[in-house]
This record gives sequence, C-alpha cells and structure tokens, in this order.
Amino acid sequence: MVMTSGTSQGMVEMVIRKLKSPPAITITLSIIAAILASIDSGFYVIVNTIVTGGMWALVAMGLALVFGVMNITSFVHGEFFMIGGLTAYFVFTPFSDYLMESPNPVVAFFIPILVMLVAAVAGVVVGILSELMIFRPLRKRTSDQWVMNSFVITLGLSVLIVNGTQFIFGTDFRGIVGYWPYPTLSFFDVYISFDRVMVFILAMLILGVFWWFMSASKLGRAIRAVSQDETGARMVGININGIQTLTMALSAALAALAGACLLFMYPAYPTVGMGPLYNSWFIVILAGMGNVAGAAICAFIVALLQVLTTVYFGEGWEFTIPAAVIILVLIIKPSGIFGSSVRGILDQ
Amino acid sequence: MDHVLEKTTMNTFQKTLNALCITPLGFFALVLLLLVPVIPPFNQEYLIRWMVVGLFMAAQAVAFDFTGGYINIVNFGFAAFVGLGAYTSGILCAKLGLSPWIGMFVGIIPAGLVGFLTGILTLRLRGIFAAVMAWFIGLAIWGLAIKLVFLTEGPLGLNCPTLLETSSNLPYFYIIFAMFIITYVILKRVVRSNMGLAFTAIGQNMDAARTSGINPVRYRIINFTLSCAFAGWLGGFYAHYYGILMPEIMHTTKTVEVLVIVYIGGRASLWGGAAVAIPFVVAMELVRSEFSDYPGLHFIFYGLFLILIMIYYPGGFAHLYETLTDRFRKPSS
Repeated sequence: MVMTSGTSQGMVEMVIRKLKSPPAITITLSIIAAILASIDSGFYVIVNTIVTGGMWALVAMGLALVFGVMNITSFVHGEFFMIGGLTAYFVFTPFSDYLMESPNPVVAFFIPILVMLVAAVAGVVVGILSELMIFRPLRKRTSDQWVMNSFVITLGLSVLIVNGTQFIFGTDFRGIVGYWPYPTLSFFDVYISFDRVMVFILAMLILGVFWWFMSASKLGRAIRAVSQDETGARMVGININGIQTLTMALSAALAALAGACLLFMYPAYPTVGMGPLYNSWFIVILAGMGNVAGAAICAFIVALLQVLTTVYFGEGWEFTIPAAVIILVLIIKPSGIFGSSVRGILDQ
Repeated sequence: MDHVLEKTTMNTFQKTLNALCITPLGFFALVLLLLVPVIPPFNQEYLIRWMVVGLFMAAQAVAFDFTGGYINIVNFGFAAFVGLGAYTSGILCAKLGLSPWIGMFVGIIPAGLVGFLTGILTLRLRGIFAAVMAWFIGLAIWGLAIKLVFLTEGPLGLNCPTLLETSSNLPYFYIIFAMFIITYVILKRVVRSNMGLAFTAIGQNMDAARTSGINPVRYRIINFTLSCAFAGWLGGFYAHYYGILMPEIMHTTKTVEVLVIVYIGGRASLWGGAAVAIPFVVAMELVRSEFSDYPGLHFIFYGLFLILIMIYYPGGFAHLYETLTDRFRKPSS
C-alpha cells in the first residue's frame, strides 16, 4: 500500500482503521451495552461491572502471564485464589477479635492491607513450591508435548490442593462480613460498601504497580523477553529458571491477593476457586491467550457480561450465557479479540 | 495388546482374537472378568456394583484415550458429552416413553453432533485451545442441564426408566461388559487402520504429518467426533443403570476421574486405561468406604497419582507391561 502523503489524511485513515479493529469494536459495543443497561435498570450495573472487573483483572492477568511466559495452561489458578482467601481469613480473624475489644480506627484501616500482603506472600510461597516441585521436574522430562502435559499436571495439582484443603480444614465456609468497619457509601443513589471501593482502589493500584513492573523494571523486561523468545533470552544471559520461578510466584501472588481482597464476597472453602478459574479462563480466551494487557481490559467486558446476565436472566446463568457469548465471538475471531492474527495449527 | 502375528502361523482362534485386537493374555483376563461376578467370594451385590462402575469407567477411558492419547488433545468437556447422551436418552424415555434400549443409541446423535461442531470450531487451532473450548462447551451444557428444569428436572434429578426390571446388578454387568468390548474393538480397529496411523502422526508431530500429506484438521475432527459419539452412547447406559440423572455427571471432576485412569493406564494404548480401571475404581471405593469420615480423601490419591505418573512414569501401566514382557522375552529368543 502506498503511504499517503498528506499527514492529516493519513491520521484520519489510521484512526478509522483502529476503530475498525476487533478490540475497538468490542470495547465500543460493551460501553454502549453498559450505558443502555444502566439507563434501563439503574446505574449500579456500571458500578458493579467496574468493581468486579477490577478483581477479575488481577486473577486473569496472572493466568495470562503464566501462559505467555511458561506456556502453562494453568488449571490450578483458582486454588491459588482459595489459598489467598484462606490465609487472609486466618490472619484477619484474630485481629478483628482484638479490634472488637479495643477499637482503634487507624489500626483498623491498615490491618486489612497487611492481611492482603500476608496472603500475597502465601501465594508467592505456593507458587515457588509448585514451580520447584512440579513444573521443573516435568519440564526436565517433557519437551514435545509440554503444553498438554503441563495442563494435565495443573489439573492434578488442583485436585490435590482442593481435596487436601478439604481434608485438613473441612468444607466449612470461612468468610468475613467486611474488612473495614466503615459505613456504606453512596454514589448517584447507588449504595456501595466501603470494602468494595477500597478493594477496587487497591486493585487499580496493584494493576498500576504491575504494569510499571512489566514495562519499566529490568526484571519485568526479562520476563517479557522470555515470553517472546526463550532461546534468545537465554543467549543474552537471562536466567531462565529464575524468571520462570518468578513468573509462577508473581502469578500465584496476584491470584492469592485477589482471593484475599474478595474474602467478603467469596468465603474461603475448598472449591471456591472454580468460579474465579472459569471467569479468568473466559477472560484469557476472549482476550487471546497470553495477552496480559488484553486480559485486563477483557476482565471488565466479562464482568459486564456477567452483571447483565444476572440482571436480565437471573441467578444461575452466570456461566452458561457468558460461555455461549464467548463461543460466538470466537467463531468470528478464533484467536481472541486482542490476538494479532488467526493462528493456525502450525504453531503447536 | 496388539502383537500382529504372521498370518500364516495363525489358526482360527488366533485369527479371531487378532480381528478383535485382543492378545491371548487379554482374552484370558476378559474370561476371568466374566466369571468373577459368579464365583462365591466375589458374588456380592456391592462388589458387582463397583465392577459395573469400573467397567463403565474402563469404557469411558477407552473413548477418552482415543482422543487424548492419539491426537494428543485432552477433551476436557468429556463428562459433558457423556451427560449429553445420558440426558437425551433419559428425557426421551422418561417424557416420551421411548424404550431405553433405543434411547441409548439415540443419545449418540447429539453427543456426536456437538462433538463434530466443537471440532469444526476449534480443531483448526492449537490443541490446547480445543481442550479449553471443549471445557467451555461442557460448562455451558452443564449450566443448561441445571437451568432447563422443565426438561431435566434440574438438580433434583431426572427419573428415567432402567434397562431391566430386576434390582440385581449382574445383568447390568454383562451389558456394560458387552458395551466395553464393542467400544474397545471398534476404536482399536480404527487405530490399527491407516487412519490410526494418521492420528498417531498428528499427535506426535503435526508438521511432519502435514508434510507427508495428511490433512490434520480432517483427521482430528473425525477422531474427536467418534470419541464424543461413544461418550454419548455410554452416557445412555449410565442413565438407564442408575435410573436417576443429576447435572453433576457433567461436572469437571467426572472428566478428571476418567483422565486419571487413562494416564495411569498409559496414554495411546487404549487397553491400558481399561486394564487399570476396575482395580483402581474398586480400590478407591474401598478407600471411600473405609474413611467415610473424610469425604474426598480418595481424590487426594487421584491428584497424587496423576502428578507422580506425569513426572516420573509418563508411559503408565501399558508401558510398564511392555517393558516387563520385553525383558521376559529377550533371554528366550
């Protein structure tokens, strides 16, 4: 194609081309759908979408990261979420008992953040352990069919963690009413609990830090280098083993953090990870596998889909209808809306 | 178990066995299995029931391994295809009064059709994509089974007529035995044909297969559809054996159970999973009844076995058997 000489004309063409691209169409359509739905049934549709979308973004980004860097189609991600929630519950309960006896607003504000940090550390530990004990031995023995084999082994790990937790802690629901003892806020006649607002702010903060880490820090650049070309990264002296351990730890930490943040919505019990796992897979597949930034955006789209489903179809449809919609989208664009091009079977 | 013998040295019996893709040892094991439920210490109802479940798992394992082992795509919505067949047959028989014997075969149609459509949609892409999409489709079907209460009665369970009037498990044992043998023989014969060669080639190295003029998409779709169709047929047995159908049969954990058995048995052998299924199911049932205070304990073994097998002995039981018999054979020859 001949480059257009007039810059303004070229700009207009570029903008139009960008607007015609699948991501732009999908995003525009979802914004229109969100606005229409909120006019129809209340502003809470948008508020709910944004708050839950922020959390799903955390979970889904970890999943996309692990797939992009290590080629692991993780099935165990929901269990990291559950471990985060469980840790948060056991750390938070003694503190909240203590605060009941001697209330202190300053301490009460910072305790939940500390709890979430502890949960993230638990995620890091579990991530490192699973990398060292399971993925690395498997990597040594598998070369050809790594994608399918690692997928199956995460499945085994998931079954093991779920039932191990059930064996040790039983099937009780361990939840809390809320982290912060503050009154409910109201935006434009929509009531929203302080916890949700805080959790959303935290999620955005973590997203920001994560984005900075991936784009600006040396380690983040190394991770991206490995995800683009493992052999090349090895040649320029990047420690692949270290990066893989770091990625697994980071991904597990993000999931555990989300589990801790959402403890007031998803009480910790052995199979709680299923819902987040389904959701984050919807997101990752919709975005295009391995696309981390796309996953963050698609998290909001999937959250919108689920909110709309609950509003217009009632409870119990929240997996079926999003799954059907996503399948329909993928018929049109199999590589996901942020995938660069249709990938054939030639690449693995 | 398919040691192809020289045609000239075979007598009629060997020829028949070879046509059925069963080795003499396998034949012996099957005859033994046929007799076990009537031999005194084993002829108790609960044991026979476990063995029916074991054979049901064995048949599922064969159908699952046909895809997972040969074209190397784990059909992660396998349980949903079983459930689809089961519900189709169950609904037709319960609501329209169709005979369960016909219903079982009608169940093949939707399972095969959905499998075919899934295949067209996903098998052009990377294998892992097909696995995850099959899982989504399974989730969607599972959700439908829960929510379409007017058809499926939802979580309360759909009462469907049983195959036979009796409350004894023994006839069912022989029915599922026959179904298992039919599944095995048909799929094994496909695997042994030229088409099976294409499957193996695709599973091992897609590029090489493509270069040798194999159309991977076509063979993958044939394979996937066939496996799903058998899943639907076996689902029909489930519906009319238990007499009650709940959406749980489509849950992912059911797929995991089959998958663990296939991996322990050894991928790409078809018989490995089947050979392991009955002992494994019976052992797990024993664990479950011994430690009934700890529900889910047997699943810890499922997870542990799967991880250990995947890392340390990917060949599974079939591989172990082959190395042992090879070692046995070498000194004598």
